[in-house]
Amino acid sequence: MQSHYGIEFPEAADSTEGVKLALHSGLPPTWSNCGATADFLGNLYARAAARAGKNVKETRHGINYLANEILENAVKFRHPASGAIEIEARFQQGRFELQVRNYAEPAVAANFQTLLQELTSRDPGELMIERIEANAMDDTQGGSGLGILTMMNDYGAEIGWRFTQTQDGEPVQVDTYLTVQLVQ
Amino acid sequence: MEIKTNEYRVWSDGSTVYYEGTMRLSSPEDYAPIQAIMNEMLAAKPARIDLDLTGLEFLNSSGINLFAKFTIEVRKQADVGLGVKGTTQIPWQSKSLPNLKKLFPALDLQIV
Repeated sequence: MQSHYGIEFPEAADSTEGVKLALHSGLPPTWSNCGATADFLGNLYARAAARAGKNVKETRHGINYLANEILENAVKFRHPASGAIEIEARFQQGRFELQVRNYAEPAVAANFQTLLQELTSRDPGELMIERIEANAMDDTQGGSGLGILTMMNDYGAEIGWRFTQTQDGEPVQVDTYLTVQLVQ
Repeated sequence: MEIKTNEYRVWSDGSTVYYEGTMRLSSPEDYAPIQAIMNEMLAAKPARIDLDLTGLEFLNSSGINLFAKFTIEVRKQADVGLGVKGTTQIPWQSKSLPNLKKLFPALDLQIV
C-alpha cells in the first residue's frame, strides 16, 4: 500500500555529483548526527558552488538548514527497531535535491500523514502563522510542522512524501524528496 | 545570566539578550533554559527588550519556534516593546526573521 503527499518524486537519476549515505540500524543515527551530516553536505556543496562561481554562503547555509530539518524529522519519527536512514543528495546548477528514506511505526506514520494532509493543502505562509499562534496557546505543542512550513515558505523548497507499507503492522517506509533552486 | 556550550552561547546584558553560534536543540524542553533567560527579562517588564541574533549562525525550526513563542508573549504585554537585530550576512535571518514581524507588527526588526 502506498500513499503520496506533495510533489512527485523524480525518476531515478544517475548523477556524478551525488552523495549517498546509509546509516544502518545497528548503529542508529542520533540527533547530533543530523547536524553533523547537514554540515557535511553544506560544506561539500559549498565547494561545488565556489567552483561554479555561485554564492557559497547561500549554498552552505541553505543546504545546512534544509538537510538538518529533513534529517531531524527522519530521526524523530524513525522506527525503534528499524532505525536505518538512507540519504541521497545532489547539487547541480544551483539546485539542491535531497532524498531521505527511513522507517516508522504504523501509528507514527499515520499521524504524520494527517499532518501532511493539512500542510500540503494550503498556503504555507498563512498556515505557518496560524500554527505558531496555535502552538503558543498550547505549551505541549513543540511546533509540529513548523520545520516543513519554513522550508516551503522561507526557502521556497518543494517537498514530496511517499509512505509504503508491505504488510499490516510492519514498519512503514517513509521516503521524502526535497528540491529547491538555492542559488542562480 | 549566561548559558555556554561548545555549540552556542546565550547571555543577557541590561535588557538585551545575545545569541551566538549554532543552536540545533531537539525539543522545547532542550530550549527551556534559554527560554528561561528570556522570560526572566520579560517578567521584569522593561520598556523594551532587544534580541541580538547577529552572532547566531545556525538555528533549527525548534529554535525559530522559541523566538516565535517569545514574540507572542511580548505582544501580550502592552507596556513592553521588542526589538530584534539580525544580519544580512547570515542567510536564515533574512529568510525567517520577517515571520516574527507578521506575528507582531510593532516589533522593531533590523536586519543590517
